[in-house]
Amino acid sequence: MLAPAVVATLLLFGGALAGAVEQSFTPPLGGGLESWTLDSWREVLGDPTFVDAFWFSLRTTVAATFLSACLALLIATLMRRHSAGMRTAVAFPVPVPHLIVAVVAVLWLAPGGLADRVLGSLPLNLVRDQAGLGVVLVYLFKETPFLVLLLLAVMGRRLQEQEEMAAVHGIGRWGRLRWVIWPAVRAPLLIGSMIVAAFVFSAFEVPLAVGPNYPPSLGTYALEVTKANAIDGAGQAAAALLLGAVASIVFALAILGLFRARREPSER
Amino acid sequence: MIVGPSGAGKTTLLRAISGLQVLDQGRIFVGGKRIDQLPAHKRNCAVVFQEPRLLAHLDLLDNVGIGLLARGVPRKERRLRAAALIEEVGLGAFAGGGVKGLSGGEQQRTALARALCAEPQLLLLDEPLSAVDPNRRSSLMELILKLQSDRQVTTISVTHDRAEASEMGQRIALMIEGHVLQSAEPEALFERPETERAARFFGMNVIRGEVGGGRLRLVDSEIPVSGPDGDAVFAIRPESVDLSSGGGLEMTVVESVYLGSYVRLRLRAGQTEIESHVRPREAPTSGATVRVSLPESRLWRIPER
Repeated sequence: MLAPAVVATLLLFGGALAGAVEQSFTPPLGGGLESWTLDSWREVLGDPTFVDAFWFSLRTTVAATFLSACLALLIATLMRRHSAGMRTAVAFPVPVPHLIVAVVAVLWLAPGGLADRVLGSLPLNLVRDQAGLGVVLVYLFKETPFLVLLLLAVMGRRLQEQEEMAAVHGIGRWGRLRWVIWPAVRAPLLIGSMIVAAFVFSAFEVPLAVGPNYPPSLGTYALEVTKANAIDGAGQAAAALLLGAVASIVFALAILGLFRARREPSER
Repeated sequence: MIVGPSGAGKTTLLRAISGLQVLDQGRIFVGGKRIDQLPAHKRNCAVVFQEPRLLAHLDLLDNVGIGLLARGVPRKERRLRAAALIEEVGLGAFAGGGVKGLSGGEQQRTALARALCAEPQLLLLDEPLSAVDPNRRSSLMELILKLQSDRQVTTISVTHDRAEASEMGQRIALMIEGHVLQSAEPEALFERPETERAARFFGMNVIRGEVGGGRLRLVDSEIPVSGPDGDAVFAIRPESVDLSSGGGLEMTVVESVYLGSYVRLRLRAGQTEIESHVRPREAPTSGATVRVSLPESRLWRIPER
């Protein structure tokens, strides 16, 4: 039953990954894998811009993922008894492309933008700021509704009934969050957060439009080395993105490990 | 015990008492203390719902001991007290495991143990037997009655099943469309209903007629009754409708349904239609004409309102 999904995943993502691996080991002037080289990897790992890009991406990813997860949990908890219309309104940003949100953010939040004209001057510089606040904000706007949708899917009538059961057995609001709601939502929240983190870590449109000129994100670094170095830029970009992919996998495994270790004793 | 048809407001009443339903008006007192302004978790009213509502991520002991969690009882003690209750409800063999493999009846026993473990001042049972296999209902009912009696915990139970209400309740309140129509001991409700609706709910035949000179004129016969002359409404249980002694009322059997221990007959004469329960070997066939007697001692005249 799973075969079609596995085959599609292997062909699409496995194929892309295999292509990137091949590219990263291919000599700049061609020659195929018979004369493979580690030059691209050495270039990338020795490049201080890559290190800065890696840490910038990691920082914005952790901030955007953590904040959107917290916000999503709060919104979903408050929204779960609202009408389907309200839920749809909350989900509105999900189908809007990231690039459009980033462009709108620039139009509104950049110095001299619409917000500046309406409010005077903004207290914070959100576009092109060194800390990547604008990048985090755009991802919050985009990813929080996605996580809210995942959470609302498990916050149905059954969860409400279990909450009622806990309430009539003396469990207060926080106790219900701890013993009833959290065990039900943590798996979808975790999986959703992993998807968000993996996407944010290597995406390039939002940092390109809203992020600082330096440091770049991992995605914009890969784009820039490709544009700047026509001969071996593609190999370096592939190596940089592969390192990002490895970091994403390590990150996901760490979260999974933490998730398993924090389960209730009676769940084991 | 509160009994009534679906949609009567029984569950809403329990939800209001337990704090799960906000009151539009009125007040609720338990043991002399007003509780309707308290949130559900502070009312000390445990509820056994129609469905067990167990938490799948907790094992059986933690599920049962959840009420002690709020009181800050240490986990070891919680589990010890839960284990004792699990033993009491006959699930001792499952104490070390989870709740996923339990049958419907076992899950409902767990829910009962969970409610009692919380040591509530008031125990509310919302049709606790409705989701249980019919063959296991009686044993669960006995268990509920035993635990309730042993622990002397004040209990309000709701059901739509009048037989279950009679078996479980020392006192029954009949609720229809949000109002308590009559509250009395089971026998009074089954034999002497105060309204026509109550009579119908408890399965009685309702007969309208005119009384004159101590006799009820019904179709082309007269039946001796007590009470003043005039229009009257009488109720009689189907088991009391006598077909064996050759009464004066001639009726036709329009339906005959075999139900194991008895046969349910629907009898008609003119506009009057009544139900009779007779033993299978004495049951006439559908279409037969029978002579019916309605014993005066079994006829209950519903008080005028």
